[in-house]
Amino acid sequence: MSHIHIPDGVLPVWLWLSGWIVAVALVWLASALSARSDIRRKVPLVGIVSALVLVAMSSEIVPIAYHINLTVVAGVLLGPQLAIISAFVVQVVLALLGHGGVTVIGLNTLMTMTEMLLGWALFRGFVKLLGRGHVRAASAVTTVITLAITTTLLVGLVAVSGVTAATARETGALNPRNLTFASPFSKGVVGIGLFSGRQTATAPAVGLKRFATIVYTLGPIGWIIEALVTAAVLGYVARVRPSLVFEGPLAVAEPVLPGDEHGVH
Amino acid sequence: MDIAVLDRSAVSGRSHLHDASPRTKLLAFALVLASIVVSSNLFIVVALALALLAVITAERLPARQMLPLAAYPAIFAAVFAIASAPDALAAALIIAKAVTAALGAVTLMFTTPYPQVFAVAQRVTPALVGDALLMTYRAIFILAEKFADLTRAVRLRAGISGTHPIRSAQATTRALGGLLLYSVDLAQREYDVLVLRGYSGRLKVAERPSRSPRTDQSLIAGSLAALAVAIVWRVYWASVINYSWIPLAAALLGLFAALLFRGRNR
Repeated sequence: MSHIHIPDGVLPVWLWLSGWIVAVALVWLASALSARSDIRRKVPLVGIVSALVLVAMSSEIVPIAYHINLTVVAGVLLGPQLAIISAFVVQVVLALLGHGGVTVIGLNTLMTMTEMLLGWALFRGFVKLLGRGHVRAASAVTTVITLAITTTLLVGLVAVSGVTAATARETGALNPRNLTFASPFSKGVVGIGLFSGRQTATAPAVGLKRFATIVYTLGPIGWIIEALVTAAVLGYVARVRPSLVFEGPLAVAEPVLPGDEHGVH
Repeated sequence: MDIAVLDRSAVSGRSHLHDASPRTKLLAFALVLASIVVSSNLFIVVALALALLAVITAERLPARQMLPLAAYPAIFAAVFAIASAPDALAAALIIAKAVTAALGAVTLMFTTPYPQVFAVAQRVTPALVGDALLMTYRAIFILAEKFADLTRAVRLRAGISGTHPIRSAQATTRALGGLLLYSVDLAQREYDVLVLRGYSGRLKVAERPSRSPRTDQSLIAGSLAALAVAIVWRVYWASVINYSWIPLAAALLGLFAALLFRGRNR
């Protein structure tokens, strides 16, 4: 669950605005830290890996409303600092292509970022535990755990936004008359009928339980598909070019010119 | 996602929207988005979508390529709507919001070359993020084409076939792995080329000025009007709820007029 598929104008303003503030702060921090080190030479790598994630996300498995994300792969390849930048870039481009809202870019960045960072940390931990010969198993387990955690985060996010039977959900629009966030479903066009305007508003029976049930039913199918793809891709890369997987982006050796193997000109 | 069509339309399209300043288009998009966020009335959101469709039709933009892209988020919004909305109308509102916002974004991207969109974004983002945005968008074209070539090659060698799903999956993931290695090498080459061309940690893109100030003014006026309507129906909903059909009818009329105008000028 690399990003929340909730459109603009559904989540409360305070929630998506907080998402934006935290995400922007983290992106600025990552950029500032990058300025101190030689990460700048890896900007094309950030671009390429982000593009790879976007290409993977563009193919959707319709029956379960899931698409491959490759976020764990991106996290392993980029490392924590660059992963934060990549998560933001991916979400901005996705929003511009109409996939995912603009107001939720902040929250989506945090979700993707969490997935990439967790993926990176867990993968390294599992490789240490299981050994370098078990990259596929390490990546599969990492992916399933990571996706399970971020799916739970998504359900938590929806719970925080007020989608419960007790509280009416609001669209995030501030009512200037009384400076409160009024529920459109309790007194707007939905609540009082399309034209009558006289019916009494009723509190909606919105089910967080229903939402969680659907997400946790369809989600695991997606997690398994993602785990298989991640395991296959990382297993292949670990076999063909191990330094990419085991040493991180900054450890990738610079190409050596023929005749300059020892750095002598 | 045929992103090449999007880029072709943005770069070589000839419409009033293409002539408008990228900054104005981004501002108009932000206003449309604000209208969607503010609105809790299904009729207003649908009216906004119809108004955008009218603009797309009148400007002769490639609607056939734009609409599937705009409809894509509806699949995910539908899952969320079905899972959490209290009734069918609330679910319809959630889906309408997703599609309308996507339609706005797609209209922006189909009429503005991506370096121009990111040139505006570059002014407010750190250098690293601005450069990464430009490089990512460019890389999507390269990778999508390369991946298509790779899977075609695998299919021609019978690596992918309907009768052997496991073998097909293995071949596809190997192709993805190959693509990843190709990507990493490409990134390194790209950096070398950039350095040779004098890259010093910032790709600078000059913003293109407007070629049609009148279009700029119309865009801002139109999107401000949309926001005003959304605010009025939000704040004074009790008084105007009975007239929710008016913006919808106006947008429908606009769409019919655009279709008629387009048909006559063919």
